[in-house]
Amino acid sequence: MLKEMQEALIAGKKADVESLVDRALAAGLPAARILNEGLIPGMERLGVLFKNNEVFIPEVLVAARAMNAGLGKLEPHLAKAGVQPRGIVVIGTVKGDLHDIGKNLVAMMLRGNGYKIVDLGVDVAPERYLEAAKANGAGAIAISALLTTTMVQMKNVVDAVEAAGLGIPVVIGGAPVTRDYANQIRARGFAPDAASAVEEIGRLIAA
Amino acid sequence: MTSRELVIDALEFRSPERIPRQLWVLPWAERTWPTELAAIREKYPDDIVQSPAFLAKPLRTTGSEHEPGVYVDEWGCRFENVQGGIIGEVKEPRIAAWSDIDGLRLPEERLSVDVRKVDDFCAASGAFVHARTVVRPFELVQFLRGPENLYMDLAERSDGLFRLIEKVHRFFLAELELWASTDVDALFFADDWGSQNSLLISPDLWREVFKPLYRDYADIAHKHGKYIFMHSDGHIAAIFPDIIEIGVDAVNSQVFCMDVEELGRRFAGNVTFWGEVDRQHLLPYGTPGDIRAAVGRLGRAFDRRGGVIAQCEFGIGARPENVAAVFENWNRWPGL
Repeated sequence: MLKEMQEALIAGKKADVESLVDRALAAGLPAARILNEGLIPGMERLGVLFKNNEVFIPEVLVAARAMNAGLGKLEPHLAKAGVQPRGIVVIGTVKGDLHDIGKNLVAMMLRGNGYKIVDLGVDVAPERYLEAAKANGAGAIAISALLTTTMVQMKNVVDAVEAAGLGIPVVIGGAPVTRDYANQIRARGFAPDAASAVEEIGRLIAA
Repeated sequence: MTSRELVIDALEFRSPERIPRQLWVLPWAERTWPTELAAIREKYPDDIVQSPAFLAKPLRTTGSEHEPGVYVDEWGCRFENVQGGIIGEVKEPRIAAWSDIDGLRLPEERLSVDVRKVDDFCAASGAFVHARTVVRPFELVQFLRGPENLYMDLAERSDGLFRLIEKVHRFFLAELELWASTDVDALFFADDWGSQNSLLISPDLWREVFKPLYRDYADIAHKHGKYIFMHSDGHIAAIFPDIIEIGVDAVNSQVFCMDVEELGRRFAGNVTFWGEVDRQHLLPYGTPGDIRAAVGRLGRAFDRRGGVIAQCEFGIGARPENVAAVFENWNRWPGL
């Protein structure tokens, strides 16, 4: 049944995912097992397919919608069982930049991989990342920029995190952003696409 | 030899005397580097120009497209902007429900072109003249539906989406037919299809839904003896063969997102590479020496006794000395 759930998730079949989660719960499977052996592996497989250009944004979005529907069914049971998220990630697009498709894609894939997301939206000032990270006990901050003129704002976020002694990684991404740029501004993480962002954040939070 | 003849020689692979050129300028550059931009324009005048629209009826828009604040375009799409000099982002879809399609007003003012004035402009210009169209079916439906809705509509092959595409496509066909009846040299369509490293949707889905639209546009151009030019941002290598197959004469794409040499090996000689030079890294952060190397790379990859137009965008962040170096080095090609 959990394998079937993965397939339904990858195919973006929301109603099937919901019904399979219901059936799994009714069969007495623990919510954590449904999450960790059904939904999350489905999203992980989807991430690999996305990275390999075997699926594209439309397929990822319908899969994320199916994932959210499944999670909606599971969440009360997870809360009851005291299951914690893999980590908490504060995410947003930098100050001066209103572009959010890439940022939303990363947020959806992180959520689908078991992370709690604090989405600050677009045009986010450095101090807001800091406040949200402190208030939520975040394990990482993820920031996105589409424009060459706004990506320079990323350095302000990294500097603010360092100055505050927060000690959590900042992961950056977006069309003009490169690994070299991440190194130059001392961002600890860089991801060229949404699936890589999940891997990079997982690696940094686990480190 | 006129600019127009130069461009046609490039498009027809007839060994143009020099590589023809065109500079694209975003309002940001006009505000930030007015003196430098004027000098570049004087030293390297465009061989390709766009005809004014000469609309008898003004477009129904509100606000300013490139200013902070809200701009509503002629389709009713509402753009929000926080940075002057560039266009904003649509945050609220105009077509929230499919029933909204019936109430979608077509911008008929776009069809009020004064053909005689366009023809007079073409006659007076020694340049190769592009039509003043804004034909972009994918981007327009993205603006109308909102990006996330649109991608899910595509995944689900929603009937409503096809109704919406049909409605805007019919309008674009009328607009292109109108411009094809003028004396312009080329028609033009644009949609941004690539992310940094792949197509935004699967190539198969692109072929199923969008390729037929573009084929219609290319057919209109060729039926009237015009060239057809296309622009797309991002990594579009997967659909290059399709673009060539439908008969596009010149493609403007972010070739530096892709493998320049591989593009050259596979497609040079079959289509004209209408620019560009890397505007994400080289133009803002490179040096004139980097630009010289980049132009040499492009020339070796794409020039087949034609098939190259030296285009670049003076956009956000670009350095004026790098923009000037693009044209300076293309003028020297192949002697770099």
